[in-house]
Amino acid sequence: MHPFFMREAWRSLTAHRGLALTAIYSLTAALTLCGVFLLLSFNAERTLRAVGDRREMVLYLRDDLSDADVQALQTRLRELYGTPTFVSRAQAWEEFSEQIGDPELLEAVDTNPLPASIRLKLRSELLTYAETEKVARSAREFPEVEDVRYGADWVRRLDAISEGLQRIALVLGIVVALAIVLVLHNTLRLTVLARRPQVEIMSRLGARDSFIATPFVIEGFLVTIFSASVALAIVAGVHQVVAMRVSGLVFLPPLWMLAFVGGAGLLAWVAGSIAVTRVLRAVGP
Amino acid sequence: MIQFDHVSKRYGERLALDDVSWNMDEGECVCVLGHSAAGKTTLLKLITHEVQPTSGTVRVGTFTGGRLSRSNRALLRRTIGVVYEDFRLLADRSAFENVALAVRIAGHFGESEVVPRTLHALQEVGLHDEQARLPHELSFGQRQRCAIARAIVNRPAVILADEPTGALEPRSAGEVLALLLRIHKEGAALIVGTTRPEVAEALPGRLYELEDGRLRERPRSKSYAPPAGAGLPGGR
Repeated sequence: MHPFFMREAWRSLTAHRGLALTAIYSLTAALTLCGVFLLLSFNAERTLRAVGDRREMVLYLRDDLSDADVQALQTRLRELYGTPTFVSRAQAWEEFSEQIGDPELLEAVDTNPLPASIRLKLRSELLTYAETEKVARSAREFPEVEDVRYGADWVRRLDAISEGLQRIALVLGIVVALAIVLVLHNTLRLTVLARRPQVEIMSRLGARDSFIATPFVIEGFLVTIFSASVALAIVAGVHQVVAMRVSGLVFLPPLWMLAFVGGAGLLAWVAGSIAVTRVLRAVGP
Repeated sequence: MIQFDHVSKRYGERLALDDVSWNMDEGECVCVLGHSAAGKTTLLKLITHEVQPTSGTVRVGTFTGGRLSRSNRALLRRTIGVVYEDFRLLADRSAFENVALAVRIAGHFGESEVVPRTLHALQEVGLHDEQARLPHELSFGQRQRCAIARAIVNRPAVILADEPTGALEPRSAGEVLALLLRIHKEGAALIVGTTRPEVAEALPGRLYELEDGRLRERPRSKSYAPPAGAGLPGGR
């Protein structure tokens, strides 16, 4: 970007401080709302992912299987679905004993009634309810498998929460994007109209639309980048306050912050280019 | 170079130009004389494509008639230098910046090109020492000279001057006319629109009169003597 356009943009910004400040207020408000939701969404996704990592399916095995059968089944499961962990009858009893804790109660049971099992940690792409259910149905067909259990309702609810969050994020993203486009469109339109004599003179001198528009687009970009940075600072402040009361709440990683500011800037550039070009067509002699 | 072929221009009910046909060649000087609202400005605006003819064809160089694309219209205007009666200078820029803007619009961005070109143009119009002043700090004559510097800085093939002396007192008017003539002598075609017969008579080349939208060539008065201070060639 040539310094001339930067100087022109700065000149326009300082000449129309009132307009620029109004745009900064509006954009900061919209972007703060977006930033707060982004923070909530990031933390929710993080929590869901952590919970999702523990999604396991338990395959109860028939009693008459040899070690070779179990080994072959594990190999097949690893190839198809994820990471299997074999739990022998003895291990299962040990775990059960630890969970119950009461020796008298355990003594009342003569023999170990628990079957051997395989705990299957599913690959990430199989963690949706639909995929998990499909895996369960297929696993039940294996001759070595007696029964398959997993928290179907729980998985379904988790998926619903995740989908809901994504949907809200999408709607909010669109609303904020529209807000940015509208605010910038109006601000740049007013700025161009306020500088109409200059625009007309440049047009009469043979300036291309891009030559006239670039400083205005840069102006919109700078205003948006500044507003996004202020919004991010406000969100950081909100995070500090909430994090004192809610443990485990983390702030956005640097890449997300960069994407937030950069995304807003990119949107501003595109929206600004379209807005100024449209206004110039109406204004230029 | 410029050709009007049966051009008419109507603004609502008012007929500004009525079946106008004329042409001019490279390096020629043409003066259009007419009272206010006779259609002089419309004629010049048709050349720069600020307005479109209601009927007929306007050809400027290789740009022929019709509605030009915005980029072609900009390109056409970059080949023409225009001087307005009200100067049309940017109020918040110095004389230097006003002239330099035209250099940048022409596509020259390097300071190594912009600065010497601009300073040379300011020198040519005698405004070198006033380059840092804002338009409101300049006299009317100096503002018009600044506008001329802006019009000539890219060495256009044709210069349009719409009432270039209209806002000036006789001495400044003379200086501005002398300047335009000098530029014309260096090779640029010159079209001047004016309401003042003494300005029209002070210019060489063909003289047209525009009345009620109709253009006709007017013979030059042999007995005409330019007024003192009208600034004939070499007057500055």
